[in-house]
Amino acid sequence: MTRSSEPTGHGTGSAAGTDSPGATNGTDGTDSISCEGVGVTLSGSSGALDVLGGVDISVARGEFVSILGTSGSGKTTLLRVLGGLLPATTGTVRCHGSVVTGPADGVVTVFQDYVHSLLPWRTVRRNVGLGIEAGCDRAERDERVDEALIMVGLRQRADEYPWRLSGGMQQRVQIARALATRPRVLLMDEPFGALDAMTKASLQDQLQQVQELTATTVVFVTHDVEEAVYLSDRVLVLDGSPAAIGLALDIPLERPRHQVTTKESADYLRLRHRVYEALGHDIGERARLGEHDHA
Amino acid sequence: MPEASAVASRVPPSKALRGRINAVGAAVFVLGLGVWELAVRTGLLDFAYLPPPSDVVVGLGELIETGQLQGALAHTLFVALSGWALAGLLGVAAGSVLGLVRPVWRYSMASLEALRALPIVAFVPVAVLLYGFSARMEIVVACYAALWPILLNTISGMRTEQRLIEVGAVLRLSRPAVLWKIRLPAATAQIVVGLRLGLSISLVLTLVAEMVGNPAGLGFLLVDKAEALQPAQMFAGVFVVGVAGIVLNALLMVAARLAFRGQLNAAGEGG
Amino acid sequence: MAGENGTGGTPLRGLLPLAALLVLWQLTGDPDSPYFPPPSEWFAAVRPLVEGNELLPAVAATSLTFLIGLGVATLIGAIVGTLVGSSRPADRALSPSLEFLRALPAASLVPVATLILGYTTQMKLVVVVLPATWPILLACRSARRSLSPVLLDVPRTLGLSRRHRATKILTPALLPAVLLGVRVAAPLALIITLLVEIVTRVDGLGSVLGAAQANFLSAQVYGLLTITGLLGYLVNWVVTRADNAVSRRMRGEP
Repeated sequence: MTRSSEPTGHGTGSAAGTDSPGATNGTDGTDSISCEGVGVTLSGSSGALDVLGGVDISVARGEFVSILGTSGSGKTTLLRVLGGLLPATTGTVRCHGSVVTGPADGVVTVFQDYVHSLLPWRTVRRNVGLGIEAGCDRAERDERVDEALIMVGLRQRADEYPWRLSGGMQQRVQIARALATRPRVLLMDEPFGALDAMTKASLQDQLQQVQELTATTVVFVTHDVEEAVYLSDRVLVLDGSPAAIGLALDIPLERPRHQVTTKESADYLRLRHRVYEALGHDIGERARLGEHDHA
Repeated sequence: MPEASAVASRVPPSKALRGRINAVGAAVFVLGLGVWELAVRTGLLDFAYLPPPSDVVVGLGELIETGQLQGALAHTLFVALSGWALAGLLGVAAGSVLGLVRPVWRYSMASLEALRALPIVAFVPVAVLLYGFSARMEIVVACYAALWPILLNTISGMRTEQRLIEVGAVLRLSRPAVLWKIRLPAATAQIVVGLRLGLSISLVLTLVAEMVGNPAGLGFLLVDKAEALQPAQMFAGVFVVGVAGIVLNALLMVAARLAFRGQLNAAGEGG
Repeated sequence: MAGENGTGGTPLRGLLPLAALLVLWQLTGDPDSPYFPPPSEWFAAVRPLVEGNELLPAVAATSLTFLIGLGVATLIGAIVGTLVGSSRPADRALSPSLEFLRALPAASLVPVATLILGYTTQMKLVVVVLPATWPILLACRSARRSLSPVLLDVPRTLGLSRRHRATKILTPALLPAVLLGVRVAAPLALIITLLVEIVTRVDGLGSVLGAAQANFLSAQVYGLLTITGLLGYLVNWVVTRADNAVSRRMRGEP
């Protein structure tokens, strides 16, 4: 396990995250994770399907980037390619300079489906320890598991089984499991997509705090525009077929952000408006369609 | 199975059939036979009495020519099917009573479970003791063997979903109407499962009864050919037994599907 | 077969008819009947076997064949089932051959095995293993097929080694299916062990039973039948308990 460059990563990362909110492509000079000309063709039952074509992304250290797209736009596929879970048909993925061929060291994916990604036969503590059992001795593992559980506020539930917890808590266990590996890049695939609005909001704030604390680079896939704008330093919109990056928008909102005040600010609303536009929503037309649906 | 049946119902029959013919699988099967043939011919597999498949085909021809196969097959099928049919009547009747009348179930189910723990084959010596070396003994054994899965599946099938019974009550159906229109159809899929299991078990036990008891039928043919050191003919017999099992099961499924299309599809047994 | 239908939920008063039958049999049965000797005679008839030190070795031989056969079947069934379940092409390629092997009744394997391997313990094992493999193989195949793909992505993204992926994720995830298969396969394996022994008379409880029948010792036959029943009950009890305990733990149900 070569995760020794942690401390320095923390310092520069948090600077990029807070002091220069407009952080675009690698203000501190090094990309954390990037891809170039990535295309993916999947073979389905109805022949080959071009899901992605010519996607270029580069994410700076400590940056929080959201990838937005309508359902079926290939955003999950893109995240799987970044995480090394799915080989790209064309193009290359780089992580800290080296080409990714499988799941890279220091890159962890958090899945939407928390039910199936937690092992029901292990307690919360042992679930969180899953990724570091092989490389750490017992004392260090316990320490790191505790640290991760404290970050997501589940220290008290460590010895319970995941199926005894609510959906939001289960997702926090999955996030803690990723954090315990001390990742440099956290890839999140609609992690809050299956949760109710209240839980979602509190988890968003928790994720903000965790990222501020650890300066982890986050690539966050979602179909929720508000969520993307609220959390990110930069929003990328996937569209077209095969999909590519249609819009890259910096989100220079002040941090730390707040669920009520940030979302009331004019900047926030303006940015949100632009993202909706990029996703192809004509506000007026949508209203008419809504009426039509009711009739 | 459910996906397969869902697809099959949407796709036109000819296409569904073509989709089901598994060329790769058949090729692997033939390849396996080829490897066996080669291994025996080249002496790679060296057992005194392991014939290559080509010899087995010759043995099959001999069995048919002398008429031994036809006689044995007819006897075994007759016994297995009569035992099974008897078990079907008994099992469905008794299973319905046990499934529908709670007091009867309460006061006899534990006895049945205790009896079920007795391994079925252990009854073959008892049957031989009671009925001697006769076809009647074989039928009794086949019937007893087939009875258990049919009985138990009927009992559990008759435990209709409470909601369906409520439907009957809401529609003000009489008790016989509830039995005939709701409970029996709801139990059909599971009874068919019991009948299938029963058929294959009755075939197995018929063979056992013929091996240790009544010297007739395919079971005796197998033992006889083994003792006469004619492995090719014996393997041919084994092959026929396997095919007979597959054909019987397929016929039963076709019949059941024709008779109870709706019930079986609903239970995902249609494929 | 859930709830009340399981052995645990069946009211014990249901044993009354069986008990009544046995009592009636005992009271009205003729001790010299060649067909229906009363239960008290059964035990008297089995005693010489115990004293002659025949019964215990026979039970041991049967149990040994049963246990080894079931163990080998579990291993083969779990491995082949997992492989076939994880690859559609492999499944399609192998299923006709497997289906044909499955259709062969266990009884028809006995002459084949005796001819090739002789009247040996090895022969007994081969005949027991093949049929007992199917329930485990099928349960494993369908469990592997329906395994969530996310569960397989988790160890990859966490950087677990291939070995740890198998031991920490796949094995525990498929264990309930294996045990479900064993629960079906165990009674089957016992039946087939007895079957081989009855047909071939190679040592074991089945061959003692067959010999008793050949010598028209009807009381001994009934006595031995009762002993096989107890063995069958024991096997059922153990596998059901094991299955319930492990599934509850592994499937994460309270």
